[in-house]
Amino acid sequence: MLLDFALPEHDRKLIPEGRLSGPMPWVIAIMLFLTLLVAAAGLTLAEAARQGGQDLARHVTVQIIEADPAQRAAQRAAVTRALRKLDSIAEVKPVPDADVRALLEPWLGTGVIDADVPVPALVDVRFGSVPTAETITRLQSTLRSVAPNIRVDSHSSWMAPFFELMRALLWLAAAMFLLLLVATSAVVILAVRSTLNTHRETIEIMHMMGGTDVQAARLFQRRVALDALLGGIVGFIVAAVVIMTVGDRFAAVEPGLLSGAHFPYYGWAILAFIPLAVMALAMLMARMTVISALKRII
Amino acid sequence: MNSLCPVTPFVAFVALMQSVVEFDNVGLRYGAGVETLTDISFTLYPGSFHFLTGASGAGKTSLLKLLYLAHRPSRGAMRMFGHDTITLPRDRLPGFRRRIGVVFQDFRLVVHLSTFDNIALPLRIAGVQEKDLRGPVTEMLAWIGLTERADARPATLSGGEQQRGAIARAVIGRPELLVADEPTGNVDPEMARRLLQLFAALNKLGTTVVVATHDIHLLQEIEGAQMMRLDKGRLSDPTGSLRHPPRPLVLDN
Repeated sequence: MLLDFALPEHDRKLIPEGRLSGPMPWVIAIMLFLTLLVAAAGLTLAEAARQGGQDLARHVTVQIIEADPAQRAAQRAAVTRALRKLDSIAEVKPVPDADVRALLEPWLGTGVIDADVPVPALVDVRFGSVPTAETITRLQSTLRSVAPNIRVDSHSSWMAPFFELMRALLWLAAAMFLLLLVATSAVVILAVRSTLNTHRETIEIMHMMGGTDVQAARLFQRRVALDALLGGIVGFIVAAVVIMTVGDRFAAVEPGLLSGAHFPYYGWAILAFIPLAVMALAMLMARMTVISALKRII
Repeated sequence: MNSLCPVTPFVAFVALMQSVVEFDNVGLRYGAGVETLTDISFTLYPGSFHFLTGASGAGKTSLLKLLYLAHRPSRGAMRMFGHDTITLPRDRLPGFRRRIGVVFQDFRLVVHLSTFDNIALPLRIAGVQEKDLRGPVTEMLAWIGLTERADARPATLSGGEQQRGAIARAVIGRPELLVADEPTGNVDPEMARRLLQLFAALNKLGTTVVVATHDIHLLQEIEGAQMMRLDKGRLSDPTGSLRHPPRPLVLDN
């Protein structure tokens, strides 16, 4: 079908191509711009969910709950040593007391921590691969032999609602992407029908001379392909500028939940493919519309 | 009726030939309206020349539309080039249409195309290479006196020039059947004679010609031409030879 894009000049004259004169390329440009933005948002979400999910799922925090500061420090050292002996663990990082206090001070105020409110000691643990629930339970019982009052918190459990939200947003992006493709197809069908009405006389003459449906459809396919290509280029350029600008703003955001939210490099290849896919879709729609319309005349 | 048909070698030859067009009790109705054509039966043989006459509204254009496969009959049997065109699959119609040249009453030149491109259109549709069509189209332009207007768009041509262009487009592909609706209506008598000569020349090469016209004097211009007359959608031919072609019964003699 894409080979039909190339037509001899005399055939192209049959349906004059008013490039960028009609609204079709601009409508396709707008539709494609929106499609690309939705696709970029979806890819960014998917990448953030993938990276963040993998990263968080490998982390657990061990809390040592002990009121006596000296014992707490001793237990933290013992827990750290025990953890470092385990092969499944990639990194063990005891969180300094100062950092824990800094985290709590905005809520509890300065000077009250330790004196009035004992705070747990924390050890940040990163597994080599995503641990199962059984692994965490086993770790918990291992550590209880050196520190009886410990608690192991898996990061993925408290982040689960956030990732549920991300997954929902991903589905929403996919649905919007499909809806925009359907809307673009509808625009193409309407434009082809309008052009077909304008050039009905020419098509009928071709028919009476033995022109086939496919020959007539080729003329429209080419016209639609050109409009879709021009619209696609404009839509892609504008979308690329917006994606890069928004990407820069994301990069300026402090690391945290959004740290994994960046547009992946492979995403550019996917975005570049979308205008070509839309062009092929537009050609297919044009072909089907013309052939089905021509079937109504003998 | 048989006794009216002299047994000549020509008649015997004609009877053996495969017909180009065969209508048997054909009727045509547009939508739910009354029949525009009723009980049309005739056979056209290769190399025959026919004038189709009749008053306005008699159904000439409708009959021509059946002949150039723009419509299918509402009833009856219709064969063209040896095939039943009523049951012929739609995707095979283009191949049949390429064997038919049509001169439309309103010319129907493609407005975006030059005279040259309009005349070349049937050849291009048939897939003739550019190098092979340039010569015949140029020759045809010279024959109809439009060499100087080769690049002109139809809107800038006079009625007569458009008509000549339409005729050239119809005959450029050497059709087996040429169907013309009032082809000499807009040209001066001299050009009308030249165009009829062109039809006659094609006819001598084997093309079956059907010309719808109001001008019965044209009959005298073509030797051996037969007349088909339509009256209120029914065919009445004065010679009788068209409705009852001298075929098997003649051979039996």
